[in-house]
Amino acid sequence: MKKQLLIFGPLFALLLLAFTPMAGKWVSKSAHISFYSHTAVEDITANNYKALSTLDPSSGEVVFTVPMQGFEFEKSLMQKHFNSNKFLDTKKHPKAKFVGKITNLGAIDFSKNGTYNAEVTGELTIKGTTRPLNEKGTITVQDNTINVKTKLPVVLADYGITFSKGKPSTNIAKEVEITLNADYQPE
Amino acid sequence: MKRKKIIRTTVLALALLLLGAAGFVYYLFHIPHRDVGGAQADFELSASSLVTEYLATHQKANDKYLDEEGESKILAVIGRVHSITEDMNKQKVVLLKNPGDKAGVSCTFSLANNKTVEKLQTGQTVTIKGVIRSGAGYDDDLGMYEDVILEKSTIISIND
Repeated sequence: MKKQLLIFGPLFALLLLAFTPMAGKWVSKSAHISFYSHTAVEDITANNYKALSTLDPSSGEVVFTVPMQGFEFEKSLMQKHFNSNKFLDTKKHPKAKFVGKITNLGAIDFSKNGTYNAEVTGELTIKGTTRPLNEKGTITVQDNTINVKTKLPVVLADYGITFSKGKPSTNIAKEVEITLNADYQPE
Repeated sequence: MKRKKIIRTTVLALALLLLGAAGFVYYLFHIPHRDVGGAQADFELSASSLVTEYLATHQKANDKYLDEEGESKILAVIGRVHSITEDMNKQKVVLLKNPGDKAGVSCTFSLANNKTVEKLQTGQTVTIKGVIRSGAGYDDDLGMYEDVILEKSTIISIND
């Protein structure tokens, strides 16, 4: 009897631990990412509703993947230029990615409804170039959903997206504004 | 007398040229977006085989299905309706995923075609056509499989 307890005891404890409800990952398949470029010549907006994201409330880890060909522009010609190998080269780099962590995790109570200011640090990869990114965002906890909103500037040249002459150099801002709005559900 | 005529024809020619140029620029700015719904599918295949193709040869699949200017291949995919949801733009999203598959084919409809999704039910086998935006794969950072993403989808047929 004692021998069996010795073997099955710890095994049982291990099993119990495995099934203990731990704060699991939350997933967002409902996100809106838009970018906005403003120049004296024209304003350009594009929208993407196909980003995918995970958020781990216990570790603060946040990941976003964005299918670049999902960006829709009002002008079809602009959309073609955006995807072309002279600009975002989306056939070769079909996804943009952000991998980061909430650095002020202690200030956010995921179990209590409310709006929290979050600070996120991570790396953003666009067109194969990875750069560090530190941004602020807003996390809203409402019953069984978590919402994340943020606005951040992206300097195109930082990711190897430059134009020296022609229309793109005058019609596209050097720095574009990215707006993000994502709703998360438990995995 | 002759000089006046030369001037008049030159001005007329210039005016026509300018009008032509303006017309061309106007056309460029107003090229209509691709009509995916009205176009013939480039490939017709099952959700399972598309996912398997991507999981086995991701790069090759991207070369085959994605287009340099974003006008990627139009795929008619047959699969089992796993779920019907809505994205942040209120567009209906039908996930085609056969039992046992690691990933599915996520088909987003345009707002104009949303109503057609009402006749679909989970468990049905259907064929949906759409333009591919990205392929399937396991993402280490996300820690999950990503589905194939199709947009501008239309229902081709309900197979059972």
